Amino acid sequence: MPGVTERRSRVHTIRAMPAIETRDLQRVFSGGITAVAGVDLKIADREIYAFLGPNGAGKTTTVRMLTTLLRPTGGSATVAGFDVVSEAGEVRNAIGVALQEAALDPLMTGRELIRLQATLHGIRRAEGQRRAERLLARVGLENAADRRVGTYSGGMRRRLDLASALVHTPQILFLDEPTTGLDPVSRKAIWEEVEKLNREGTTVFLTTQYLEEADNLADQVGIIDDGRIVAEGTPAALKEEVGRPHLEVVLADGTMDRAEEILGRFGRPLPAKDGAALVELKEGAAGVAPVVRALDDAGLVVESLDLVQPSLDDVFVAKTGYHLEGSETPDVEENELESPA
Amino acid sequence: MTNLRVIGALGRRSINQTFRRPQLIAPILIFPTLLLAIQVGGAGRAVDLPQFPEVNGFLDFMIAGAMIQAALLAGNSGGIALALDIEMGFTDRLLAAPISRFAIVLGRLVGTAALGAATAVWFIAIALIFGAKIEGGVTGALLIILLVTLSAIAFGAIGAAIALRSGSASVVQGLFPLVFVILFLSTAFFPDNLLLEPAASIAEWNPLSFIVEGIRDLVISTFLGPSFAEGVAALALVSILGLLMSAAAMRGRLKRG
Amino acid sequence: MTARADLETIRALMRRALNEILRVPGAAIPGVLAPTIFFLGLTAVFGNLTLLPGFTTDSYQSFLIPVSLMQGAGFTGAATGVNLARDIEQGWFDRLLASPAPRGVLLAGLVLSASFRVLLPATVLLTVGFALGAHWPGPGGLAIALLITMGMAIVAAAWGTTIALRFKSQSAAPLMQVGMLLLILTTTAYAPLALLTGWLQEVARYNPATQIVDAARQGFVGTVSWDETWPGLLALAGLAALLVALALRGMRRTAD
Repeated sequence: MPGVTERRSRVHTIRAMPAIETRDLQRVFSGGITAVAGVDLKIADREIYAFLGPNGAGKTTTVRMLTTLLRPTGGSATVAGFDVVSEAGEVRNAIGVALQEAALDPLMTGRELIRLQATLHGIRRAEGQRRAERLLARVGLENAADRRVGTYSGGMRRRLDLASALVHTPQILFLDEPTTGLDPVSRKAIWEEVEKLNREGTTVFLTTQYLEEADNLADQVGIIDDGRIVAEGTPAALKEEVGRPHLEVVLADGTMDRAEEILGRFGRPLPAKDGAALVELKEGAAGVAPVVRALDDAGLVVESLDLVQPSLDDVFVAKTGYHLEGSETPDVEENELESPA
Repeated sequence: MTNLRVIGALGRRSINQTFRRPQLIAPILIFPTLLLAIQVGGAGRAVDLPQFPEVNGFLDFMIAGAMIQAALLAGNSGGIALALDIEMGFTDRLLAAPISRFAIVLGRLVGTAALGAATAVWFIAIALIFGAKIEGGVTGALLIILLVTLSAIAFGAIGAAIALRSGSASVVQGLFPLVFVILFLSTAFFPDNLLLEPAASIAEWNPLSFIVEGIRDLVISTFLGPSFAEGVAALALVSILGLLMSAAAMRGRLKRG
Repeated sequence: MTARADLETIRALMRRALNEILRVPGAAIPGVLAPTIFFLGLTAVFGNLTLLPGFTTDSYQSFLIPVSLMQGAGFTGAATGVNLARDIEQGWFDRLLASPAPRGVLLAGLVLSASFRVLLPATVLLTVGFALGAHWPGPGGLAIALLITMGMAIVAAAWGTTIALRFKSQSAAPLMQVGMLLLILTTTAYAPLALLTGWLQEVARYNPATQIVDAARQGFVGTVSWDETWPGLLALAGLAALLVALALRGMRRTAD
């Protein structure tokens, strides 16, 4: 492309390697606090990977190690094929970063910020200007581009942060809790943007406390608790592993007992709830049709029928023993830790 | 006499706050000490000038100025602490309780007074270690401690008034440079007959000059001269000013609610 | 990164640092006026030291001006450190660290801005100083004084940066200021070397900053000569090299 003299890393041609790989990655802080206790990751190129876990689980610390902001105290990690410690410069060329604190200067305008980011990546002024225009339009900030960032709403700041992370068309995008604190509309907008970027070929590593976010966006989910990965897999596989969906059937009055007897053939009965008979389907979702047929054959009138899938929260509870609570407060403890043991 | 107990309790709290965090006291003691050392080293030859008053050494002359500088900083930091209490809402809780309004300010001033006494002892020690002589003897030293303590209280009252008026710690903090300015315009660091304008004229009626001279008198002369009396009078003046300001600021705060 | 890209990054960072003054003028005023206020105070209090036999000039304003210029450099450098500490606290610095810009380039952007920002308090000070009767140093003397002031601003900014990187908090500001103040005042700040007393005379004799102050002072109290200038420039270069190295080390260890 004319006007572009930024360093292009060789990884743009080597796409078969994992985008992110870590072996026993560890980080211990002074005072003996182990934030990350040995994490193994293998994230394929063009994947969307979500790190799901509560505050203090080690999500932000892991991201900071992968983005070369923090040195691991044990284990190793490569991003885009480069070691995060010995080849940090090459890693920085290949990644885009939008961290939890949406690190923006309130006195700068949106346009100035993206152009500064372009300069940091060695992009020439004219080209930087062009890319800024495109990116601002892409995230819907063209009209606010010349206003100071201090006047932006939370959603606008996140979008600007995302746009600035894309100025050098990175191979891998790191998003640390990208939608925490946003309203549902802004959240959805970010999700759509992330999916679009992924379709265009960007690998995305995101951390989140929100089950819905991991469920909707991610190809692979890693559940992290207390510095360790306790479960990993596709959202569907994780949920299946933990349990099968159950059926909630409400029938016309007086026919409950007969229904329960029929339902019992298709799986384990569960305690009734609010006038509905519950059964855990042995066949999973495939068992719905036979149940309906059986009830119909028996002449029973079904008023409503609900197929309830296990959620990632069920997965979380199964693996850790407690519920994942999506809180709005930022990861304060992790962010304040800075010096190593 | 619950007010006395309240003042005692608040006083204990303010002493704890002051002395439990050395990084806050350090600037109040270290800074004037460093400045003292540098100024004695840098301007010390001034004692050779014929116009310079009769002293054993430049340090003897200067030490009073350093003490008052520290007392001013102590008063400023007391004001900052009160402003922080106000920002935090602690003062509102006190105001809602059935205690005298003034007990709140006096309680805070106990801490400042303790700090004032500590700085006086500190500088007396420095003076003796580095060869200065307190001509006023033990009585003189005790009077010095008393005067510095009272000065810290007086300055603390002014600091408290500003804290009550503004409710903001950064406003009180912003007055920090003012401490140096008003001291430059007094006889804290150099005798009045050797000052240049505009310091010479302003120092003539600056109450700080009198307070410093009063303490200085105890260091450099063997008897209590008129300087001491003038110093006490100036101190009384500043104290009354501080109390009036605090009272007015407190009234204003209560009215604003 | 290519040299062109590095220079562009330095320019962009410098522009951002200067923006602070333009966009929040109120914040800069104290730092700009402080050296002049101290200058006025100190000359009024100690001005008659010139009466001492052996004093190298009869104008205390002329004698003190270079010291106040250095003080301006000290405050400017401390402000650079405080701004960096704030940027670290707010996460902005992470943005710079995660980019491919080399650490040395980031540091250059930070400290070079100080050398230009110091010209603001310097101008105010010189204007007031001349109005009060300080001797005109001649173009050579003025150039040397300003060059040294800008150099000391870099030294002070490197010091402020080192402290900011170490403590990562704006509350370390006093340490930034005191450091430079001690360096500048333990010199021939108040009086010529022969007239200093006790410990200060010994310290000033060996303090490299004394050479720097004396070199900057030349034109104001007498004639300018190369013999008087080169020791100061050498000391300044040495000091700058030392503190910039310290700051660079701090930059490289941000991930530790």
